[in-house]
Amino acid sequence: MKPQTTNKKIQRYLALTSLCAGIFAAMPSAHAANWIMLQGTEPAGTAPRAEVWGFIQPTYSKDFSNAFAGKYVPPKLVGPSLDSQSSFNILRARIGVRGTGFPLDNKINYFILTEFGNNAMTNGGAYGNYTPVLTDASVTLNYIPGARIRLGLFKYPGAEEGLQGINMSPYVNFTDVTNQMLQERFPTKGQGNIAPQATPNANMNAYSQPSSGFRDVGAQVFDAFDVGSWEHTYAVMLGNGNGVNMTDTNNSKDLYLYWSSAYLFDKSAKGAFQPSLKMFTWYQNGKRNNVWNTTQEQDRKRYGAGVAYLKMPFRVTAEYMWGKGMIFQGAQNPGNGTMTAASIFNDNKASGGYLEGGWYIPNTKWELDLRYDTYKRNTGIMSGPTPEANFRTWTTGVNYHFNKKTRLTVDYAFRKDSAVTTATNNQLKDVKGLLTLQVTAAF
Amino acid sequence: MIHLSRITPIALLLAAALATSGLAQANENAEPVAKILQEKPFAQTRVALQISDGSEEKQALVLNVASNLLKFYGPDKIDIEVVAFGPGLRLLFKDNVNSQRIQELAAAGVRFSACDNTITSMAKLLGHPPELNPIARIVPAGIVRMVELNKAGFFVARP
Repeated sequence: MKPQTTNKKIQRYLALTSLCAGIFAAMPSAHAANWIMLQGTEPAGTAPRAEVWGFIQPTYSKDFSNAFAGKYVPPKLVGPSLDSQSSFNILRARIGVRGTGFPLDNKINYFILTEFGNNAMTNGGAYGNYTPVLTDASVTLNYIPGARIRLGLFKYPGAEEGLQGINMSPYVNFTDVTNQMLQERFPTKGQGNIAPQATPNANMNAYSQPSSGFRDVGAQVFDAFDVGSWEHTYAVMLGNGNGVNMTDTNNSKDLYLYWSSAYLFDKSAKGAFQPSLKMFTWYQNGKRNNVWNTTQEQDRKRYGAGVAYLKMPFRVTAEYMWGKGMIFQGAQNPGNGTMTAASIFNDNKASGGYLEGGWYIPNTKWELDLRYDTYKRNTGIMSGPTPEANFRTWTTGVNYHFNKKTRLTVDYAFRKDSAVTTATNNQLKDVKGLLTLQVTAAF
Repeated sequence: MIHLSRITPIALLLAAALATSGLAQANENAEPVAKILQEKPFAQTRVALQISDGSEEKQALVLNVASNLLKFYGPDKIDIEVVAFGPGLRLLFKDNVNSQRIQELAAAGVRFSACDNTITSMAKLLGHPPELNPIARIVPAGIVRMVELNKAGFFVARP
C-alpha cells in the first residue's frame, strides 16, 4: 500500500472516529463571556489577596500534508519549532496570580501571568532560544463609575478568538485568520527568510521575538453597563503596539476600540459560561517601523465584528475581520530588507472569518464541535513575492470533560490552501489534514 | 495611532473625577435585641449567622444557609440575623458582588448587622470608613451581638 493512500485512510478513520465518539457521550468550553470584564476586574468584596491559578496543555500534533519536491513549508509542519510533522509538546504552561492586594479596598485589583509552554511567544525559532515570557501584568483602578482604568500588559480589546481565555477555547489551534492576521509577529533585522526545508530539523520558524499573544502594554478605559437584560461593554485602549515586549519601538501609539452588546438569558449567572447572545465590533490602528530601514513607517489596521451565542446545550460563534498593512507571510518569511522577498513589512490587504458551533451533549461529559474558517491573504495581488493566497479549513472536534477543570480535546482539521502563483501554490496545494490531541488541566 | 499629547487633558479629567469619588454614607444603628424579638412575634425559630471570613466561598455559604432556612421554615416562621465582623464585614461592603442577593434576603426579613469595632479598625487602615450596603445596621461589637442574640434564644451558627 502506498503511504499516501494509507494517510488518506487514516485521515478518514480519525475524522469518523472523532465524530462518532462524541455521539455516544460537563463543563463546557466557553465562547460567550464578557472577557473584558472577566480579565480586567475582580469580584468586589470577595476577591482574595492572591489567587494562584494557571493551566497546562500537553499536546500532540500530527500533520498529514505532503512535501513538494521533498521539502516542506510551515503549514505542513508542527509549530512552533516547525521541524517535523509530528510532535508531543507542552503547548502552554501558565501560572499566575490575581486578586486585590488590599482586600479592604475593592477599587484596585491586579492580574499577573507567565508562560512556560513552548509556543510562538516563547520558542525563539531558528534564530533564538526558548524563553519564558511574562504575558500579563496589569493593575485595574475601579474608582470612576463607568470608566475603569487598566494599566500594564494585558490582552487588548479585540476579536473574540484572541480575547477569550485561551484555556477555554474549544479548539486546540486558532483559525488561520486569527493566527495569521491577528497574532502579530515582530521581525528582527538580520534574521532573514528561510527556504522550504526537508524534515527532520526543518527549523522553519524565522521569528525569534515573542508573538503578540493578542496583548499589548498600555492603558485601557472600560466598563460594562446593565440595561434591563442587556449588558453593554466598551473599551478604549492606547498601547505600544509591540506585543508582550515591554517597550515601544516608535512614538506612535496603537489605538484599540471595542464595543459589545449582550443579551443575558440569565443575569444571575456569572463567569465564562454566562448564557448570552453577544454582538461585538472592534477596531485597531497603529504604525510599525521597517526593521531593515527604521525611517520607513507602515500603518497596521485591523477591524472586525461578530456574534457569540451560548445557551446550553448549544454554542454558535461567527466572526469576520479585515486587515491592511503588516500582513504576515508565514513563519519562514519575516523579510530580508529587499523588495524581491516576501516580507511582513507590507501594505497588503487580507480578510477572513469563521463560523463555529458546539453541542454539549446533555447529561454526558462530551462536547462536539465543528468549525469552518477562511482566510484570504494579500487580496488582489496576482504576482510577486506576496501573491494572493486562500486558506480554508473545516475542523471537527470532540471535548471530553473529566471534570470542571480538566478536559481532553481531539481535533481533526481538513485544510485546503491555494495561491494564485504557481510557485506559492506548489507549496500550499498539498497542505492536508492535521490531527491534534490536547489535555487542558487548569488549577 | 494617537499621540500622547492629545490624551493629557483626558488624563487630568479622569484624575479629578478619581479624587472626588468615594464619599461614604452613614448606616443606621441596629435595634436592640429585646426590640427585634417583637418584630417577628410569630417566629418559631431564631437563627444568628456569623460571618467573620472574607472569602468568596464563606460569603456564598452564609447567604445560601439563610436562603435555605427561609425556604424550609417560611419567612414568617423564622427570624434570621447575619452578623458580620472581622474580614467577614466585606460581605456588607456597598459594592459587594452579592449585594443583589443580600437585597433579596433583606426583603424576605433577614437582618444584616455590621460590627462597629471592625468598621473603626478598617477606617484606620483605609483612611476612611468603608462604604457599606445601606441595608446593613451597625452594632457596637459583632461578637457581643452574637452573645446577646444567643441569650435571647437564637441558635448561633457559623457556616
